[in-house]
Amino acid sequence: MNIFERMQKLDPRWIYVVVALAIIIPLMIPYDSDNVTTPPTENLYQMIDSFAGREDRAILLSFYHDAATMPELFPMEVAILRHCFERNVKVFMLTWYPAGAPIIDYAINTVKEEYPDIQSGTDYCNFGYKPQAFAMVLGMGDNIANTMNTDAEGRKLENLPIMRGINNYSEMNLVIEFSGSSAGGTWIVYARPKFGLNVAVGVTAVMAADEYPYLQSGQLIGMLAGLKGAAEYEKLVDIFAAYRDPKIDYSKTTNENGDKILPGRPFGREILEDESSKKLSLITTQTHAKFTASEYKAFSAKYPDQQNILNGLIKTEKDMIEIDITDITPELRTEMGEKLYREIDRHTHNTLYKFKVARIGMNAQSVAHIMIIVFIILGNIGYFIQKARVAKK
Amino acid sequence: MKKTIPLLIVIVGGLIWVAWAFSPHHALQDVYYNQFYLPWAYASAPFGMLLGVLSLSLMHTNKIKTKAPKWQYSYFFFGSFIITCLAGFIGGIQKGGLFMWIFENVQMPMSATMFSLLAFYMASAAYKAFRARSPEATVLLAAAIVVMLAQVPLGVKISKHLPTISQWILDVPNLASKRGILLGVGLGSVATSLKILLGIERSYLGGSD
Repeated sequence: MNIFERMQKLDPRWIYVVVALAIIIPLMIPYDSDNVTTPPTENLYQMIDSFAGREDRAILLSFYHDAATMPELFPMEVAILRHCFERNVKVFMLTWYPAGAPIIDYAINTVKEEYPDIQSGTDYCNFGYKPQAFAMVLGMGDNIANTMNTDAEGRKLENLPIMRGINNYSEMNLVIEFSGSSAGGTWIVYARPKFGLNVAVGVTAVMAADEYPYLQSGQLIGMLAGLKGAAEYEKLVDIFAAYRDPKIDYSKTTNENGDKILPGRPFGREILEDESSKKLSLITTQTHAKFTASEYKAFSAKYPDQQNILNGLIKTEKDMIEIDITDITPELRTEMGEKLYREIDRHTHNTLYKFKVARIGMNAQSVAHIMIIVFIILGNIGYFIQKARVAKK
Repeated sequence: MKKTIPLLIVIVGGLIWVAWAFSPHHALQDVYYNQFYLPWAYASAPFGMLLGVLSLSLMHTNKIKTKAPKWQYSYFFFGSFIITCLAGFIGGIQKGGLFMWIFENVQMPMSATMFSLLAFYMASAAYKAFRARSPEATVLLAAAIVVMLAQVPLGVKISKHLPTISQWILDVPNLASKRGILLGVGLGSVATSLKILLGIERSYLGGSD
């Protein structure tokens, strides 16, 4: 048996070993890579962001999947919830699957840990598992509180603060359905034409191709396609929603002109394409908070009582003032207060693992895709050489 | 009689839904839908769930009784079903409870493992079966390689034009074929629905006519 015949009859277990290594190694050793954002992801981000800080707008997340597709869909759900919590967007959640109910709880618990001020019933509301999707989808078009009646904790919806200003799809104007199969179907067919509801989907990569007709026709306003879609969304949240201007005091609700102060910043193409923005979405550990002189001056002015502590921590590197968060001892942390510590931590632009899972996964997917392409090419080379030899004989 | 009554139920029920979809009349939109259909739909859902549980339990009981192949695994079904139900009903489904622990540490990893096996089979199939045997297969192969590369950050490093080419493949040839399939499915559904409503299609009743 020559080498080409051997190649054709390669034991699949060798392929499994190579694929396993190609996935495991990049997962264990994260490196920074740039996930170029695509229009379907950007459109969805911008739509959600347009509801930021508005009392009369909300979004609905439909968790239409079970645990099997969580590796691809869960990072999307976490990224969108994080976006909502960062930018004060009211968010409702439901599932048509009994197995989807724990996923909603798990997603809320995962994100909420980092947002102690976010309250159930005020900032978000979980409807839980609801049977009869068709009836619910149409019913919410008339009145959400009457159709859903209670949330997952059994509280009457009409008594919850989150329902203030929210009646039907005129206010809860965007639904995002996450699914490993037929995402968005019921919403597109019934709620979109009858009530003008905006629909978007988050789907596994294998299902993404099926959604393109709806995207092109405008029936879907956006789509997150597989882990790549989740990675793109994570990046946008890091660059825009999680961004904090060191000069602005976010503990105040309005500025000196009486304008509402909203955490984060709106989406901007020029910001996204700017080279410096890449530093805001790195997945490797970041420990240095960097400020320009004017930024530091405004930042430290917000903490007049902690000026001495701050001055003891700063170092000047290439015209930038830096604070190394690893220099802050537990005692110093207690002395400076949790608010200042958290703000310095935010300015390091270090992203928690749970908020960069998709981007780490994309590194593994990069290597896995290259491996599969190499396998395809090798398989074809072996096939054609063997075929040529047979023909020659 | 045995077939006429079910046939009439289907025809009348179907026509009511057609009328509901096309008419904004109060009797259909409010009286029929909100006051009649919605409460019945909510009430029937738990019975559907009960039916599912009963059916699954009966199937596994039969498997154990008849000692069908792999009957031992049916005990795992009953064991997991009872433990999960008790954990949820007694301890609640909130974070920190046994139910959520089972979900996070048993169901989630097991389901994800099953789904992730797909990657291994895909890699093996790509090596063994994805051959440029014909011009059509060669086009498919080239398109697959471009889309796969453009999906990942490494691909963008190879060429910044890859995402544009990949997007074109998805937006034009992929979209055309998908739309063709969807139109076919849509027209087929309309034709089948009409045949059922008019009593021409009766195979759902069983039997030959």
